[in-house]
Amino acid sequence: MFLQTVVTGLSIGGIYALMAVGYSLVFSVLSFSNFAHGAVIMLGAYIGLGLVTKLHFGLGLVVAGSMAGAGLLAVANEKLAYSLLRKRKAPSLYLMISAMGCAVFLENMVYATIGSRFYAFPEFFKQNVLCLFDGTCNVAVLDLFAFGISILAILGLHLFLTHTRTGIAIRAGVSDMTMCSLMGVNLDRLIAVVFFLAGIFGGAAGVFLGIKYLVYPTMGWVTNKAYIAAVIGGLGSLPGALLGGLILGVLETFVSTYVSSVMRDVFSFGLLIALLVWRPNGLFGRDTGEKV
Amino acid sequence: MNYVLSIVTLAGINMIAVLGLSIFTGFTGLFSFGHAALVGIGAYASAILTYYYFVPFPVALLAGMVAASLVSLVIGIPTLRARLRSDYFAIAILGFGEALRVILENLEITNGARGLPGIEPFTTLPIVVLCLAVSVWIASNFLRSRYGAACIAVREDPVAAEMAGINLFRARLLSLVVSAAFCGLSGGLMAHFMSFIQPVMFTLVQSTALLAAVIAGGMGSITGPLIASFIFIAMPEALRVAQMWRLVAYGLVLVLIMLFRPQGLMGYQELTTFFRRSRNDRPAA
Amino acid sequence: MTGPLLEVKGLTKAFGGIRAVDGLTFAVAPDAITGIIGPNGAGKTTVFNLVTGVYRPDAGSIDFAGRSLMGIRPDQIVGAGIARTFQNIRLFNRRTCLENVLTPMLQRAPYGVPAALLRTPAVRKVDRELREKSRLLLAEMGLEKMADVQASALPYGLQRKLEIARALAMEPKLLLLDEPAAGMNPEESRSLSALIQDIRERFNLTILLIEHHMDVVMRVCSHIVVINFGALLADGPPEKVRTDERVLQAYLGKEYRNA
Repeated sequence: MFLQTVVTGLSIGGIYALMAVGYSLVFSVLSFSNFAHGAVIMLGAYIGLGLVTKLHFGLGLVVAGSMAGAGLLAVANEKLAYSLLRKRKAPSLYLMISAMGCAVFLENMVYATIGSRFYAFPEFFKQNVLCLFDGTCNVAVLDLFAFGISILAILGLHLFLTHTRTGIAIRAGVSDMTMCSLMGVNLDRLIAVVFFLAGIFGGAAGVFLGIKYLVYPTMGWVTNKAYIAAVIGGLGSLPGALLGGLILGVLETFVSTYVSSVMRDVFSFGLLIALLVWRPNGLFGRDTGEKV
Repeated sequence: MNYVLSIVTLAGINMIAVLGLSIFTGFTGLFSFGHAALVGIGAYASAILTYYYFVPFPVALLAGMVAASLVSLVIGIPTLRARLRSDYFAIAILGFGEALRVILENLEITNGARGLPGIEPFTTLPIVVLCLAVSVWIASNFLRSRYGAACIAVREDPVAAEMAGINLFRARLLSLVVSAAFCGLSGGLMAHFMSFIQPVMFTLVQSTALLAAVIAGGMGSITGPLIASFIFIAMPEALRVAQMWRLVAYGLVLVLIMLFRPQGLMGYQELTTFFRRSRNDRPAA
Repeated sequence: MTGPLLEVKGLTKAFGGIRAVDGLTFAVAPDAITGIIGPNGAGKTTVFNLVTGVYRPDAGSIDFAGRSLMGIRPDQIVGAGIARTFQNIRLFNRRTCLENVLTPMLQRAPYGVPAALLRTPAVRKVDRELREKSRLLLAEMGLEKMADVQASALPYGLQRKLEIARALAMEPKLLLLDEPAAGMNPEESRSLSALIQDIRERFNLTILLIEHHMDVVMRVCSHIVVINFGALLADGPPEKVRTDERVLQAYLGKEYRNA
């Protein structure tokens, strides 16, 4: 039971981590919590669904297509809803409110156009189940796949940020946006890249979530959990997002298994509040203060 | 005619909640994504009292206000004491609101996610109008008093406010409690108007709609958000727009306002300012 | 009263690796105007922030009128009789001049929440009285015509005056002014110097002043404290400080004699 709980926890944790990375990436560069990310994830799932049902793509192409689509959506989101505010140097709170507005807008657009029906991906995507540790626990091949992709993606992101020109520019932007642009970096392009990256991870997460469970308009709110994961790891930290996702996934599953599934959500939100109050920087986050 | 009256009544009920949030967000400068949950607490507290214990309506309303205020302390004290930066605070209260909803969905006495039907429809338009009028009067008194001046100072510049003798924590907490009381009143009135409440009526979505009204109406204004709130409720009805499209509109409105007119309809002014100005023909200060 | 009004001993505050204030000791005599000067980054505003409770000192003591200020919150320090202005003006921008001055006065109003919510006659009376008092204070500072003007609409020089007026509204014994002459031309600083001396007289204040404009400092201060790298460099009357070797070196560099 214990081992199974851990394994289940890690598999959902991998998906949380994928989603959390998106939050942390945007936060690390623009210092605001992008609540529209959940909507992007949800749209990624729908794109995946569309690819499978209308174009009959296989799993690999579905994931790739969703990632690309979600990435582009995220860039569009930034251009339309945030770039004006960013240029005006509006406080991060304004950005967050615009984000919330986007989330409500997108979610209800889907509701109103596509409908509130819950959709499922075709069965064959999640069929194979592996028995590990002499049959004491089961893990779906898909979960392993998702977990693997999460780790690979985050590693890849890390390499990108440390070894490519754009990546290094992003890290410079984290410290000082203005200085960065004064040094000749095209800020708009840089931020577009950041959002694209956040979007592709979100798209992947959306598809995995959709396959694992179902696709519906309000699935974006599951990403509230991913937000909590990002806070645990420390907003703005990518290794933190990975770790936070895994930790939250495991902790939540333990609460759900050994206490009750209702308490699971209360636990997660309670954890969020406790963290924000007592340790807002999470495990690896940065500290920013105000000059008096 | 009945239909129009009921829309006006609903709008009035909503306006009281928006007034509450306006005190906290518009005048004290703290954004909240959780005030719908406080409305829900007021709704459930008052409904439970009239439904199970046959408590008189006014007493139940009062109890709803008190319940909402007490619950607001639970989230207010730790988060305001910690002096969270504004977006963290908004998220903390968001999480709190969602946690409350989950709790409401799992209690026996609230009848869980299925909701509480058969609540006595005590709320009438005259009652709502009376409550709204009294609420506006009390809110106005609060804002003109030393406590309101403290709230506004905290919004303008917390560092300077401290050096003007204002205790940041107490000013913000009082603002939260007062705003919660208004939301609780709104909830109580709503429960006894719709005759049926469900936890899903008090989520992040509704909190965002409240916030949209405050921002669209203008921060630092009493009349602005009231007007915006009325428009938000009345116009979709007049246009026969379905619920989900309304939410699409709220989301869009929020984004557009942040982008193009962050001060909203009447940022930091009241309806009376316009009348005074046009009468005297004085140039703006 | 005898003895210094404000006494700072061994005050130390570090931010990360940087010692903003390093074992600072000085005293402010009552009824005098004392100036704090020093090169940029010397830690002067940090001293103000420590005295007003915005930061907590790592070591040392701060005593005001014989009472220790350690661990006291900024809003309580105001109650003890200290008021300040800020280097970057911090007004309540969207409030009128009158409301800026009225706000601190209102915090001492003797009514509670229930009375406030009902706006009882007692509340209205207090409100009227304090508004009147605010207008008088604005008039003392020459701002009576601006009473209903939004603070952010004021020209820079008047904004500074308004900030001082707001500080005076708290009826302090000690007034801390952080670079009040910043951004002023010589005529404006002359007028400011006169204002500072004037309010000291009229309001019976002790003033502690951070300034870079030497003309203002030399004109109004009876005592000067020189800080460099967070520590005391010199301490004495203007004539003495003006010719102090170490002070000249700190400002002009070691080679000043050969320049």
